[in-house]
Amino acid sequence: MTSTRRQNADTKGRIAARTQPMFNRVLPAHPAAVRDTLGDIRRRFAAEVGEDTLARLELVLAEVMNNVTEHGAGISVEDDPRRAPSIHISIVRHVSGLCCAITDDGASLPDDCLQPRCLPSLTQPELPEGGWGWYLIQDLTQALCYFREDQRNYLAFSVPFSEEARPL
Amino acid sequence: MRLSSAATTEELVIVVDEARIDAAVATRFKDSMRRLIGGHRKPVIIDMQAVDFLDSSGLGAMIAVRKAMGEDRPLILRGLTPNVERVFRLTRMDSVFDIRPTDPPEEQTS
Repeated sequence: MTSTRRQNADTKGRIAARTQPMFNRVLPAHPAAVRDTLGDIRRRFAAEVGEDTLARLELVLAEVMNNVTEHGAGISVEDDPRRAPSIHISIVRHVSGLCCAITDDGASLPDDCLQPRCLPSLTQPELPEGGWGWYLIQDLTQALCYFREDQRNYLAFSVPFSEEARPL
Repeated sequence: MRLSSAATTEELVIVVDEARIDAAVATRFKDSMRRLIGGHRKPVIIDMQAVDFLDSSGLGAMIAVRKAMGEDRPLILRGLTPNVERVFRLTRMDSVFDIRPTDPPEEQTS
């Protein structure tokens, strides 16, 4: 990506060290668009962020955007792709991690999503096939916050860098 | 959905040749798996070496497959990559599934 190259082009390293890589995108809440976006985010930060952090970031963002895709429209998006909510995602690198803000114009988030989660009991016949997404989001993020304003959901959180793999 | 299966006298080995088991493919993955597994009564080994990414939809699909097999029929997951292993570990599903180390050498298979 040319903008990345431009940001990192400073040979003395002074500007490059201060420039925080960012990612911004608006996408429809659709599984294929989510998949493409996750790939682009990975490529955007691959040079500056360790693999472990990138992997946690990818998982969290997948879970958040999947939720919008699955529940945001209030109907199955496959019935009418035009009714898919629009997602706006921003990621900025900070000192201690990657700060993410995700907004969408889909249905309001149910209150219990942000309540602290316990894992369900692990007895096999009753194992739930869903409901793991919010558990993973809560486990892998810091400073998770949510608010609804007008017709949009606002979700923000940080994905901390792993201790063994400090950013460059 | 790229899945290949080979039955030996003892077991059914299914190799998942997909890089991502995510929301875009989880339902297809589950249906294809159930079809492959439903034709047999043997223990099943799923080789996941090619899978780089699995989200909660993919995990849900694996749980559905596990439940469809019934508790008595063994299911072994083999070759989990770090990102896939993380999802099983964080959700404690590593205590429900029989997960074996990546790529065991041939001579140790007994």
